[in-house]
Amino acid sequence: MSEESRGNRDIQDAAPHQEKPQRQFRGLYDRVNISVGTLNMVIIVLSILLVLSMGYGIAHRGYVITFDSLGGTAVESGKQMYGELLLEPEQPVREGYVFDGWYRDRDLTAPWDMQEDIVTESMTLYAGWKEK
Amino acid sequence: MEKQATVPAAAERDGSVLLKMEGINKAFPGVKALDNVSLTVKAGTVHALMGENGAGKSTLMKCLFGVYNKDSGHIYLEGREVNFKTSKEALENGVAMVHQELNQALKRNVMDNMWLGRFPKVSKWCPLTSESKMYAATKEVFEELEVHVDPRTVMSRMPVSQRQMVEIAKAVSYHSKVIVFDEPTSSLTEEEVEHLFRIINMLRDRGCGIIYISHKMEEILRISDEVTIMRDGQWIATRQAKELTMNEIIRLMVGRELTNRYPEKDNKVGDPLLEVKGLSAVYSHLKDVSFTARRGEVLGIAGLDGSGRTELLENIFGIATRKEGEIYLDGKRVMNRSARESLRNKFAMLTEERRATGIFAIRDIQANTTISSLPRYKSGPFLSDKKLRESTEWGIQAMRTKTPSQKTQIRSLSGGNQQKVILARWLLTEPQVLLLDEPTRGIDVGAKYEIYQLILNLAKEGKTVLMVSSEMPELLGVCDRILVMSGGQLAGEVDAKTTTQEEIMTLAAKYA
Amino acid sequence: MTEKKIGAKSQAFAGLSTQDKLRKVGDLLLNNAMYIIIIVAVIYISIKVPAFLKLPSIVNVISLTAARLPIALGIGGCIVLTGTDISAGRVVGLTACISASLLTTTFKVFPEMTSAPPIFVVFLLVLAVGAVVGLVNGFSVAKFKLHPFIVTLSTQLIVYGVILMYLKNGTNNGQTLSGLTDGYRALVTGTLFSIGNVAVPKYVLYAIVLTVVMWVVWNKTTFGKNMFAVGSNEEAANVSGVNVSRTIILVFVLAGVMYAITGFLDSARIASANAATGFNYECDAIAACVIGGVSFVGGIGRISGIVVGVLLLQIIFAGLNFLSVDANMLYIIKGLIILIACAIDMRKYLVRK
Repeated sequence: MSEESRGNRDIQDAAPHQEKPQRQFRGLYDRVNISVGTLNMVIIVLSILLVLSMGYGIAHRGYVITFDSLGGTAVESGKQMYGELLLEPEQPVREGYVFDGWYRDRDLTAPWDMQEDIVTESMTLYAGWKEK
Repeated sequence: MEKQATVPAAAERDGSVLLKMEGINKAFPGVKALDNVSLTVKAGTVHALMGENGAGKSTLMKCLFGVYNKDSGHIYLEGREVNFKTSKEALENGVAMVHQELNQALKRNVMDNMWLGRFPKVSKWCPLTSESKMYAATKEVFEELEVHVDPRTVMSRMPVSQRQMVEIAKAVSYHSKVIVFDEPTSSLTEEEVEHLFRIINMLRDRGCGIIYISHKMEEILRISDEVTIMRDGQWIATRQAKELTMNEIIRLMVGRELTNRYPEKDNKVGDPLLEVKGLSAVYSHLKDVSFTARRGEVLGIAGLDGSGRTELLENIFGIATRKEGEIYLDGKRVMNRSARESLRNKFAMLTEERRATGIFAIRDIQANTTISSLPRYKSGPFLSDKKLRESTEWGIQAMRTKTPSQKTQIRSLSGGNQQKVILARWLLTEPQVLLLDEPTRGIDVGAKYEIYQLILNLAKEGKTVLMVSSEMPELLGVCDRILVMSGGQLAGEVDAKTTTQEEIMTLAAKYA
Repeated sequence: MTEKKIGAKSQAFAGLSTQDKLRKVGDLLLNNAMYIIIIVAVIYISIKVPAFLKLPSIVNVISLTAARLPIALGIGGCIVLTGTDISAGRVVGLTACISASLLTTTFKVFPEMTSAPPIFVVFLLVLAVGAVVGLVNGFSVAKFKLHPFIVTLSTQLIVYGVILMYLKNGTNNGQTLSGLTDGYRALVTGTLFSIGNVAVPKYVLYAIVLTVVMWVVWNKTTFGKNMFAVGSNEEAANVSGVNVSRTIILVFVLAGVMYAITGFLDSARIASANAATGFNYECDAIAACVIGGVSFVGGIGRISGIVVGVLLLQIIFAGLNFLSVDANMLYIIKGLIILIACAIDMRKYLVRK
């Protein structure tokens, strides 16, 4: 509105001067039309939501490990915590094939080592088969 | 004695008290912006509100309109206590404000702007907005105010003065009882100012209370009935305008005697330095401007708003596109195709819109001071903190800028101090030609004097200063010669010592 | 904030009335809401899973931070210009794929090749690719005055298309690229030094070097000062003789180079690269910048802030990972964090009534 910057008098104290409506300095917030009070509420609500979603995540913690037997008998999925060794599920069966362990990928290039590899995320393991 | 002017006895003569603000206090963190300020506006009077920048005039008005929440105090409108939360609420209760910087929907037309937020409906049953009603109502108000504008004109196509008239018309159409004018004449020509004054007088005769905020003392003394003067957030005096003289007002505003409004002129004009030949612009009406400026000379550029003064400087500095024309510096042709090139050719330009194109608001004083001369501070490939600091310190000292430190954000300084920082920025580029566009706009009286002194000091060092200004006395007081622009052309050249305001005005109207 | 400033603030604070004090404390709480939540979360996690504060986990967080730092440093510049860059993640993907396809032992993308080119040559090539994308972004923003969001949205799509086409090349048929050369992996993931028996990978060092370089660029060069000037007021910068277009273009090119470095490091770090590599990295990077105080207002930001931002994000995600919080939930949390960071940033620059 006006050019006022409250004069020379207050320049001696370097208090933060943010109360002036200086629209053109607000970059991407130039068009923001919200009062500080409302924004405070927004921040509080969002923070509560954030805490709630973290809480929800923690309450439902555990990584879901699903097993795709790729034509064999179905294997039930399991839930495990970070850093655990995989609990070996029941071995699937497929006619004419022999089960050859679980793999990380569908192309069966990265085998899962039951003794070494630890669970770090939700994942799907694929069954490897060898012809009889 | 000073307080007596607000007692009801005086009110009886001019009419009833319309608006009364009592004991308003407002503090910002660390600063008391308003300290027990009172203001009484009577019906049928023009009440001028004066004070230097930072005196608290605008803050007081913002408290009235609910832009700020006052800390304490009461506001009475026609004896009823009010406490507006928004300016819309104020408007609906008959308190309107014509802003210095207009907030309008520029891409919409006049009537859309006037009826924004209360578009007339076709009828009670048909909730569509009625263009014809809007047009008729707008036309009616315009005729009353003698504004000759088609209500269907798009705002952005109109000059600022007409846009301001629309704002006034809007206030009138709300049947406002109290209308606040905040620096209404800062972008108006003399003729438009006359028109504005006619409107203000008309509104006053109708019984409106007008609050008139301005820096221009001639205007205040002419138009107002009462004058309230503020200083440093405090109420200083309320007087009848006829009892006041200009010096008296200045004394009250500044709190000290200010004998000379202009410093002594002791610069010596030397041989020609800058020569401009046949300058025309592509995107503005600037046409065939030629002149010569000498070393150590302050060359004023006068003219009405839109007469091409700013465009002339912009074309010389290369931030507007030139069609034809040649610029010679010291006999050598310079191209000045961009600000960068002009900078290298030792030109400097202080722009009119300080906030929009001058300061880097959120950056500190140091960054603002050194931005144009960064290569100077290199040591090796990197910038030297020491050199940056020293140059900034020089700038602060030389300009006598009041700032707590170099690391202060420039937006927390007053307008005058911001202007000094920008001047320092340009002086660090060691320019020979300074183009100053309205160097004292929005700066308080005390600081203006310092700016004039700086300008004259530059001239004394042998630099050429081109100075555009809308304030005629300022041009007469500071410049050696004055070029008068009119309708994009050079209308004439006058000697500042011998000319009169009338002569300049006549020239300014030559091609308008 | 310098100490001096804090000192002055605490002095000013003592002189205020109770009401003002309460408001100040409220302001402080709200302005730092994000940090408070993250700190509380970290405390909770370390109580619940003590292993989180053990050395391997700390080194892991530092390594992850180092891996994500270059991209954030690049995007930070774009945000200082009041812009953003959402093509970042895909550029990381493209450069990771190029690195993985050349510095490999299998040559699925280029079957006719027999031996890997020198690592340095590949590195320069990758930098050039990043710089070209940055140039396109920067040029469009500087010259056409398009909003960076639109420009980088288009380049993001184009780059993604290029990645998919690239991976179809040769005998690869769109599969994940792996089988990287030992030299390449050793250069990036080799042990810098070991604390106890936990190895700190070499890319931590690279990230530190990049941070220092960027700090110098931002604070000690003409380009850096010009960048901040353009970010805070483009018009004024132009009038002050700053080459605005060149500055904008350079910022985006520099950002592109940073993404390229991220891609180059990432492919070796993960030991493979595919079309999904780098996906959504820009979200993390933008979030980190905003958390670290690089404001969308423009012209405001510090390198140290970006480092802190990236670190905080990685800490919170590593922590949630330790708690076995599902990845799907992490997306929601990430989104909320960005929103809160923006709201807080906005709050600092809003007009006070």
